[in-house]
Amino acid sequence: MNDGPLIVQSDKTLLLEIDHERAADCRKAIAPFAELERSPEHVHTYRLTPLGLWNARAAGHDAEQVVDALLSYSRYAVPHALLVDVAETMARYGRLRLEKHPVHGLVLSSTDRPVLEEVLRAKKVSGMLGTRLDDDSVAVHPSERGNLKQALLKLGWPAEDFAGYVDGEAHAIDLDEDGWELRAYQREAAESFWHGGSGVVVLPCGAGKTIVGAAAMAQAQATTLILVTNTVSARQWKDELVRRTSLTADEIGEYSGSVKEVRPVTIATYQVLTTRRKGVYTHLELLDARDWGLIVYDEVHLLPAPIFRMTADLQARRRIGLTATLVREDGREGEVFSLIGPKRYDAPWKDIEAQGWIAPADCVEVRVTLPEGQRLAYATADPEERYRLASCTHKKVDVVRQLVDQHSSQPTLVIGQYIDQLDELGEMLDAPVIKGETPVKERQRLFDAFRSGEISLLVVSKVANFSIDLPSAEVAIQVSGSFGSRQEEAQRLGRLLRPKAEGKTAHFYTIVSRDTVDADFAQNRQRFLAEQGYAYRIIDSDDLEADPAS
Amino acid sequence: MVNAEEAAAGAALDRLLDLALVWESPGGLRPLSGVADALRGGESAGVSGLRPMSPEPADPATLAERIEALSPAARALLAHVDDHGGEGTTGSARRTVSAADAATPAEELIAHRLLLPRDGTTVVLPGEVGLALRGGRTTRTPRDEVPEVATTERDVALVERSAAGAAFEAVRRVELVLDHWGLEPPGVLRGGGLAVRDLKATARDLQVTEPEAGLLVELAAIAGLLTEGTDEDGDAVWLPTDAFDAWSAGSVAERWTALVSAWLETTRIASLIGTRDSGGRTWNALAPDLASVLAPEARRLALEELAALPAGAALATGTGVPSVVQRVAWRRPRRPPVHRELVAAAVDEAAALGLTGAGALSEAGRAVLTGDHDAAVAAITPHLPHPVDHVLVQADLTAVAPGPLEADLARTLHLVADVESRGGATVYRFTPGSVRRAFDAGWTAVEVHEFVASVSRTPVPQPLTYLVDDVSRTFGTVRVGQAESFLRADDEGALTELLHHPQAASLGLRRIAPTVLVSTTPVDVLLPRLRDLGAAPVVEAPDGTVRVARRDLLRARRPRAGRSRGAAMARAQAGVAAVVSAIRSGDRATASRPATPTAGTTPSSALAALREAIEAGSTVVIGYVDNHGTRSDRVVDPVRLEGGSLTAHDHRADDLRAFAVHRITSVAPLPARP
Repeated sequence: MNDGPLIVQSDKTLLLEIDHERAADCRKAIAPFAELERSPEHVHTYRLTPLGLWNARAAGHDAEQVVDALLSYSRYAVPHALLVDVAETMARYGRLRLEKHPVHGLVLSSTDRPVLEEVLRAKKVSGMLGTRLDDDSVAVHPSERGNLKQALLKLGWPAEDFAGYVDGEAHAIDLDEDGWELRAYQREAAESFWHGGSGVVVLPCGAGKTIVGAAAMAQAQATTLILVTNTVSARQWKDELVRRTSLTADEIGEYSGSVKEVRPVTIATYQVLTTRRKGVYTHLELLDARDWGLIVYDEVHLLPAPIFRMTADLQARRRIGLTATLVREDGREGEVFSLIGPKRYDAPWKDIEAQGWIAPADCVEVRVTLPEGQRLAYATADPEERYRLASCTHKKVDVVRQLVDQHSSQPTLVIGQYIDQLDELGEMLDAPVIKGETPVKERQRLFDAFRSGEISLLVVSKVANFSIDLPSAEVAIQVSGSFGSRQEEAQRLGRLLRPKAEGKTAHFYTIVSRDTVDADFAQNRQRFLAEQGYAYRIIDSDDLEADPAS
Repeated sequence: MVNAEEAAAGAALDRLLDLALVWESPGGLRPLSGVADALRGGESAGVSGLRPMSPEPADPATLAERIEALSPAARALLAHVDDHGGEGTTGSARRTVSAADAATPAEELIAHRLLLPRDGTTVVLPGEVGLALRGGRTTRTPRDEVPEVATTERDVALVERSAAGAAFEAVRRVELVLDHWGLEPPGVLRGGGLAVRDLKATARDLQVTEPEAGLLVELAAIAGLLTEGTDEDGDAVWLPTDAFDAWSAGSVAERWTALVSAWLETTRIASLIGTRDSGGRTWNALAPDLASVLAPEARRLALEELAALPAGAALATGTGVPSVVQRVAWRRPRRPPVHRELVAAAVDEAAALGLTGAGALSEAGRAVLTGDHDAAVAAITPHLPHPVDHVLVQADLTAVAPGPLEADLARTLHLVADVESRGGATVYRFTPGSVRRAFDAGWTAVEVHEFVASVSRTPVPQPLTYLVDDVSRTFGTVRVGQAESFLRADDEGALTELLHHPQAASLGLRRIAPTVLVSTTPVDVLLPRLRDLGAAPVVEAPDGTVRVARRDLLRARRPRAGRSRGAAMARAQAGVAAVVSAIRSGDRATASRPATPTAGTTPSSALAALREAIEAGSTVVIGYVDNHGTRSDRVVDPVRLEGGSLTAHDHRADDLRAFAVHRITSVAPLPARP
């Protein structure tokens, strides 16, 4: 028996006991190839997946290193079958290579002929390939570079892409480190991306992903297309780039529903790119409008499917994906891997929090009991009405008011799903409400006012879930959500995690109706937060005043 | 002649002489006639590399010349035949050809008498040609070189650790599968054995491959922990035996030793599970005839090879197992080919069972091989994970046991939490369902809290405490019970009075709400007793309405009057008419009978006559033998003839009857009435 901190389970999960003295070393050793699945307070769970192992291969690790790390930190004997499986899975990556041939252009070559034969016989792949050049290589239609990579991943033989990138139209971009500087992990992230060519950088919300994007642009020194989730976020990118780099406002264009500018650096929304008229993507020409040297994908985990298809045609350009999580609710992680690239950098939330870059958070679930009459209404309601009934109870309004009073001096966000409820809350609390129909200008004004401290209470709908930088928010009160989505939870919590002055703790309240579907969904959320390592408490609304933390 | 050092060949000869398999005769050494027979022929004829010589062997020099003179294609063919046991089949080659007009390589060889035709399609390589091909020796490769086992260096500690790891896993999995089968036993196939579906499910549960699952299941059966039994419905199922309970009480080391020593001696071949037999049927796990007498020997030979390796040496990855197979095959050259597979399987199985680790035999493995069980237990114990007595409880409602739990603790934890992941450690998850299960088993919230606090090495997180309290809040809010009847009254006082009435004790009354009592007495007994007690109850129907329960007056049914005279008379007349018609048809039959008994009509003519009668719609007289063998004559109107039976209207019975054709002895037309 070896006194290591790691326990390797036969279902390919790795349990890391973090109070162990060698835990930190072990984490460093296994992080490149194992995906962190849960990080509650004592034992972290990692999982070995083919994608994770291939990510490690792409980052230059080999099976020997993986096996060695498992063996040297494992407390008990490592199941032999698992080691064999690791070695076999890792050996699958890189058997096939996409290369640039001086004469034949793009070429798929292999060091292992049977693999090439197997792949050539696959129906899905055959249409993408050209003539057979020799025993070990075959020409590839340049337009199929992305599709081929996708298809090969599905076959279990991911190809390594050595075909290189076009430089794109040069454009001078420098970081303007005046009064701030690139944090160590941001620099590392940008550099690992640049060395890897293309890929995804995983950083928690609030860790400054925009800056990593800017640093990547400064490395590329080329015209850049930035794809973001929505207009507000586009404006924020623009402001941030003007502030952090040598770019001026004139060099940055916005390409959205309302404005269509194409400039050396262009920020486009997913929505405008995926707009279709009569089955045709009308704004597709943007992708060819300039000779882009770099494409930035913000919030990769939300990338809509049509963008994947477009990205398949952009394989000759450098791509950087920015995200807080590789988990996609739709399970398209494989497409991110094959089309945008392998994971190039990853830092767990807790590490960055420990470095003081994001604020620690105190998560509290407040349970309210439905009044008798509403309970009856709930019990007899149609299943599809139940969630709405449960989450919109008036009892919640009282609790929100109580919480707002407790945190009266702190900037507070009240977040909800149902507009009626939000309107009611806005009226009760005498606070402005931001919802889907609020014009962008008005939204911008309110967010600015909140940022500057003019107003300290905002009621927002789910429009605020993504990429809106409200660094001053210290308290978030969630009254309803979209059925316990893990992603939404990460985003909402992310609103709070921007670093606070004086290292204050953020408070994250979720108000839940007891004994209803609302509470069932809350279970998901609770599990997600606890797995992310946040202190999590459940209190009854009646005990709220006695709660020591508030 | 043998491709070996002279000394080695001499030693081998001496040994053969000692064993009296060879004797010295005036003409030289001769093998016993039986030995020669045993060596020759059969699939393994290639073993000695010698084919019988042709009657008049050409001398080696001429042979060499002839071989030299062959065309390249013919030489290649000759070498091929030699490599494949000295026999070949040729489809079209002519048997008698001269060297000049040989068209194919095979014909060329036959013409040079390098291959001899034996029968229609087979040619054989004569012994002397084979010798010439192999440079005057019986085999191409030297026979006195013992094949070496391919080894690599391994840290002894690593060997012990990984062996113990595998051993622990094997024991744990056997226990797991038997625990599971004790609750949900899989059925026994009609031909014996375990269904492929059940094996697949087991492999999935245990997170192992199917062959490995097969091995574990076989292992359980070999060790007497699993056998056929019957479930509640009387179907044959695989059940853990009573020995399993004794076994599971032992320490891991003892349990492991019991398993592997049983494995070492068994004739069962788990490695064949999932493969097909010669008839193309798939072998099922636990199938009754999945055994071979060769298995124990192959296993022991393989392990002895491993035991002979020096400390620190282990089988090389990839080449190690084939080299062991070769070495064993050299030591036992006369075993059938399946023996090699058994040896290879034995090495794999030994690794899966933890007798070997990283390709080398562990200390405990050696002890098992020598049969010293106590030494085996002592050797493996220090390397097995120590049982732990605590878990780490976390805010995401999981509890991680960082090692194998003590058996009692594991069982209790199993009750209050669900297992999420197994292996060296176990991850449990608390869910509302699992906590409710504990309450169902009679625990209270306080007990659950205390239990979790006592086993957790870390502070119990608040969400878990809340979960337990929350479940206990809703636990038992709806209560279910049994009662024969209920009593309902708006007047609480009346019910209280009844409840406390001294004579009501036997009614089993219990108050479940201020206005409701339940009773264990059925309504029909309860009602008169309540009246005796002075109450005035009414009965409620299932739909809640009041049912007036007046006693029914008892009445008997009026006796039925006798039948009317008219009916009786009609009946009597009908009887008379039936008798008359029977007599008449009997008379007609008698009248039609010729004076002398007819010689039995032949079956075909009888059939023809019947068909004729059916077509003509005429009446015939048939001779018929009934069930009791009595022959009678019947007057019938044939209607239908099919399926060996005649349907006809029988005049005597005045009804349609069926007659078996084979019992009809004669058919005659009804004579006209005299």
